[in-house]
Amino acid sequence: MTSATIARTVWRDTRILLPFVVLIAAWWALKVGLDVSDQLLVSPPRVWDGFVYLVTHGILAEYASTSLRIIGISALISFAIGVPLGFAVGTNRYASRALEGTLRFLQGISGIAWLPLAILWFGFTHTTTLVIVIYTLIVPIVFNTMTGVRAIPENYVLALRSLGAGPVRIVTDVYLPGALPSIVVGMRLGMGYGWRALIAAEMLVRQGGLGDLIFGARSFNQIDRIMVGMVVIGVLYIVVDRLLVQPIETLTLARWGVLRR
Amino acid sequence: MQADKITVTGFRHFFKTEGGDVQATGSIDIAIRPGEFVTLVGPSGCGKTTLLKAIAGFITPTEGTILCDGKPVRGPGRDRGVVFQELAILPWRTVRRNIGHGLEIARVPKAERDRAVARLIDLMGLAGFEDRYPHELSGGMRQRVAVARTWAADPEIILMDEPFAAVDAMTRLTLQEELGRLCATTRKTVFFITHSVEEAVFLADRVLVMTKRPGTIKAVLDVPRHDAGGRDWDSFTSDPEMRAIAEQVMHLVHAERVA
Ligand SMILES: Nc1ncnc2c1ncn2[C@@H]1O[C@H](COP(=O)(O)OP(=O)(O)OP(=O)(O)O)[C@@H](O)[C@H]1O
Ligand SMILES: [Mg+2]
Repeated sequence: MTSATIARTVWRDTRILLPFVVLIAAWWALKVGLDVSDQLLVSPPRVWDGFVYLVTHGILAEYASTSLRIIGISALISFAIGVPLGFAVGTNRYASRALEGTLRFLQGISGIAWLPLAILWFGFTHTTTLVIVIYTLIVPIVFNTMTGVRAIPENYVLALRSLGAGPVRIVTDVYLPGALPSIVVGMRLGMGYGWRALIAAEMLVRQGGLGDLIFGARSFNQIDRIMVGMVVIGVLYIVVDRLLVQPIETLTLARWGVLRR
Repeated sequence: MQADKITVTGFRHFFKTEGGDVQATGSIDIAIRPGEFVTLVGPSGCGKTTLLKAIAGFITPTEGTILCDGKPVRGPGRDRGVVFQELAILPWRTVRRNIGHGLEIARVPKAERDRAVARLIDLMGLAGFEDRYPHELSGGMRQRVAVARTWAADPEIILMDEPFAAVDAMTRLTLQEELGRLCATTRKTVFFITHSVEEAVFLADRVLVMTKRPGTIKAVLDVPRHDAGGRDWDSFTSDPEMRAIAEQVMHLVHAERVA
């Protein structure tokens, strides 16, 4: 490998990080240039120190694992309930017409708007957080599964029935693969909304999790902790999205091409 | 005399819509003999697809009866294969798996299935594309796959709804000749809808012409065959007898144009 190709590879792998570098530099310049007080903004090295402290004392792992556990459980439950529900609604023309308005209405009420009611019902517990996150996740999953199923050309089903396919075959060979791209989109949207709802719910419920971490740090003016928490929230979201959702999307969409209708 | 393969008696169909019932067809009577290739032409919206879907068993006729092999049609079945104009083969299956789909559903063992699929891939000129997905094929090749899938399942009756309408004119000529040959060798009973008068006459043993909506059968024309194989376009276009029939059908169809 010549040094030029090495340079090119390094550049390709690092260029997504470049905006972050610029952002950090700007933050640092702002802090130093305007001499902002530590009560409002701390410098990047202070945040790094805070990060090291939280990691070495196991605090970050504790809070982050709570958040990840809840989003993981919520994703599984939402998927297990949302996909079949989306199928049931999507394959039934009357049900899907009747429910479309309701689903849109629910999409308008964010998970956070349910918090007051959920707290009254379940108290300041993980159950409350779980309910909020599942609700947030499940609506886009049901909605996208439903739209995905409905967008499948009727001819696919008719042709298969003429080949002797029964209802199970139709589901496994037509509806599932046909709706999969939409299901993945729903999952992806749901994870994005769900992750945000999770952090917000944790701030109010205060039973652990990254939302609790940054909201608690506010009481003691621990700006470094708040900023560490925010960065971790963003990074974990990218990691979950990149490692879980994107591969499925690329796998299905790239292989089948854009579905022609 | 041999019993009819498909018998349609007093068929009429209405679609229920929010604005009331829409009459899709007038009263239709048809009898198709085993091994016969019958084509149907008629103005857009006259009810051709409705009739085909009723024979396929996708819709229940409002009035009348449809018999296949003397038994009333009660839903779709393996005895009646269907080829649509487009959007028929599954985008998430390779050519091979699309063609073998019917056999897979019928639980035909893999070895046997592969043999049947390989034969059809050869026959339809799809060699080398076995492992491609539909989006990697041309429109003409996709229709070949759809035809091959139906043939692979080996139904006695094949219903085709403008299968070549979305294919370019050059490819269409080839596909028509191939279909003619395929039918001549396999002796299927075929019911074929088209907008093209030439295509209707070229492929048919008999051409049915429909009136405008609500459509009824306006005329039936026999197209004699002089040899057992499929027709080819060169001899078809230079045959005065064929030209005369095509002309006749053209007049019948033109009289139905919506003024
Ligand atoms: N699902 C449906 N609901 C209501 N009306 C329908 C439905 N399907 C067809 N129609 C109506 O029934 C009539 C016949 O339709 P059909 O599809 O059978 O016509 P066609 O002869 O196949 O037309 P084309 O040549 O354009 O394909 C049309 O007027 C159409 O609008
Ligand atoms: Mg039609």
